[in-house]
Amino acid sequence: MEKMIHVENLVKQYDKAKAPSVKGINFNVSEGEFFAFLGPNGAGKTTTISILTTTLSKTSGNVTIAGFDVNKEARQVRENVGIIFQQPSLDPNLSAEENIRFHACLYGMYGYRPSFKMMPKEYRNRVLELSEIIGIQDSLFKPIKKLSGGMQRKFEIIRSLIHTPKILFLDEPTQGLDAVSRRGLWDYINTVRHDFGTTVFLTTHYIDEAEHVDRVCIINQGQISFDGTPDIMKQSLLKQEVILDSYDRLELTNELISLGLNYRIEDHVIVPFQDLTPQEIISGLTTKLSLLRMQEPTLEDAYVDYLLKSGGNIA
Amino acid sequence: MNTITSKKPVPRLFREINVVITILSRDITLFFKSVGMLIMSLVMPLIMMGMLGGSLSQNMAGGLGFDYNQYMLIGMLVNMLFMTTSSGVSSLVEDHVTDFTQEMMISPISRYSIVIGKILGSSFGAMVGMLGTILIGLIMGISLTIGQYLLILLMAPLMCLSAGAMAIIVIGVIKSNKMANIAVMLITMPQMFLSGAIIPINNSTGILHLLSRLMPMTYCLDLTRAVVYSGSPEYADVVLFNPLVNLVAIISLTIIFLVIGTYFFARSEKNR
Repeated sequence: MEKMIHVENLVKQYDKAKAPSVKGINFNVSEGEFFAFLGPNGAGKTTTISILTTTLSKTSGNVTIAGFDVNKEARQVRENVGIIFQQPSLDPNLSAEENIRFHACLYGMYGYRPSFKMMPKEYRNRVLELSEIIGIQDSLFKPIKKLSGGMQRKFEIIRSLIHTPKILFLDEPTQGLDAVSRRGLWDYINTVRHDFGTTVFLTTHYIDEAEHVDRVCIINQGQISFDGTPDIMKQSLLKQEVILDSYDRLELTNELISLGLNYRIEDHVIVPFQDLTPQEIISGLTTKLSLLRMQEPTLEDAYVDYLLKSGGNIA
Repeated sequence: MNTITSKKPVPRLFREINVVITILSRDITLFFKSVGMLIMSLVMPLIMMGMLGGSLSQNMAGGLGFDYNQYMLIGMLVNMLFMTTSSGVSSLVEDHVTDFTQEMMISPISRYSIVIGKILGSSFGAMVGMLGTILIGLIMGISLTIGQYLLILLMAPLMCLSAGAMAIIVIGVIKSNKMANIAVMLITMPQMFLSGAIIPINNSTGILHLLSRLMPMTYCLDLTRAVVYSGSPEYADVVLFNPLVNLVAIISLTIIFLVIGTYFFARSEKNR
């Protein structure tokens, strides 16, 4: 599959900074892949995404987007990407539609016309269709400054997709959104991926949003500390446990000791799988249980574990 | 889901012209949406032409050997173009603060198109200010002929471009709205005093003489006066240079400022 993003030995050191923010990182993203780029605050995520989207210059290394060099062929790179920034970048004094029209005309899709009605039918249909899908058609002609943060975010998504980019960069796209808005937004992004085969590059602090991505890459202190699928990441975390409890907790723990099983007591009695299956653990017990629950690590558990192992802060 | 049908590729030049039109149209749209900007466009001529110009005319215009009112009106018209365009260009800093410049910077367009579009967009407000100045002049009993007004109107876009190009150099290195407002003052005030807008500079010497020769407004004013006073007996008293010298100076300074300013602007966005 074609490499849509290729990053090789990328280094970025800001003016007057004592050390680089990004220290020679390498990764690739294939066409159509849903790629999550995770890391704590200050790890180098936004720096990397800014270089990838040509809004920040790199210190050294090679970066190509859709086969184009970010330095030498910045214009072609920009033609092929759509971006949703961490901070909203809409003009608050224009209406939502005016913001979208401005974007479409900058990308050379249409000649500028001073009103929505004067724009080509193709444009009008597409804007109406996209706003209907995302459920914001009633706010299309309202000034951006009068819309909620969630609404503004949705319009940013429409704007970033209006020129049907090959790669969509999402820099913490759901920051400040409520749960319903987040879900609606992800539903729409998944529809776009499905319909257009768009490659998605995501950075987020909501690790659960990366649960269903194709690949996860963790950057910590400017270096890549993990690059693989979410499943591989979770498997490497030995945190599969059975959570038990009984009205007679002493009898239960004595039984666990007699079976040679390790356990620890937090709110309940927690028994790691170790080399046993959950079936083997449960079948050896005769104490009447008041609680039985399995615990699989979440991506967030694995993420935090990776950060701790790679010596990073998790602030 | 609808997709955009592939169209015949548009030549690069046409695309960039469309970008310039798009960016300048945004400024015009914002102008009409902002009551404050509309009011300012009418209040500024009242202050500059009505109060400052009127006071100078009444108290300091004696013994000049030419009609000071007409001299000052031309000065105020050009000054209004420079002040309002510089102020309009400074709104790029506001766009920077609200991250809207990011939207333009990630678009596949020339940085020059962004800057030229912004300057031309700002020129719209400047033209409104110029019309306000003409109106205040008429109320004060100072006017030019229709032909002279039309000639000034024809030259106005070049003057706005020159003013905007100078402003963009300063704006390119500024990050806050507060500093931008101060910078506009620092750009426009010295030009108003040293380029001959309201005070004749025929006898300037030393550093003031040198500074006046470095300011694009000096040449814009002189070219405008050369056109307005052409064939009149006052021509030798009010015009400093050959119009061709003025034109070459304006175009040269504009190009130099535009290249340097665009570089600063693009660099400030890329190294934010």
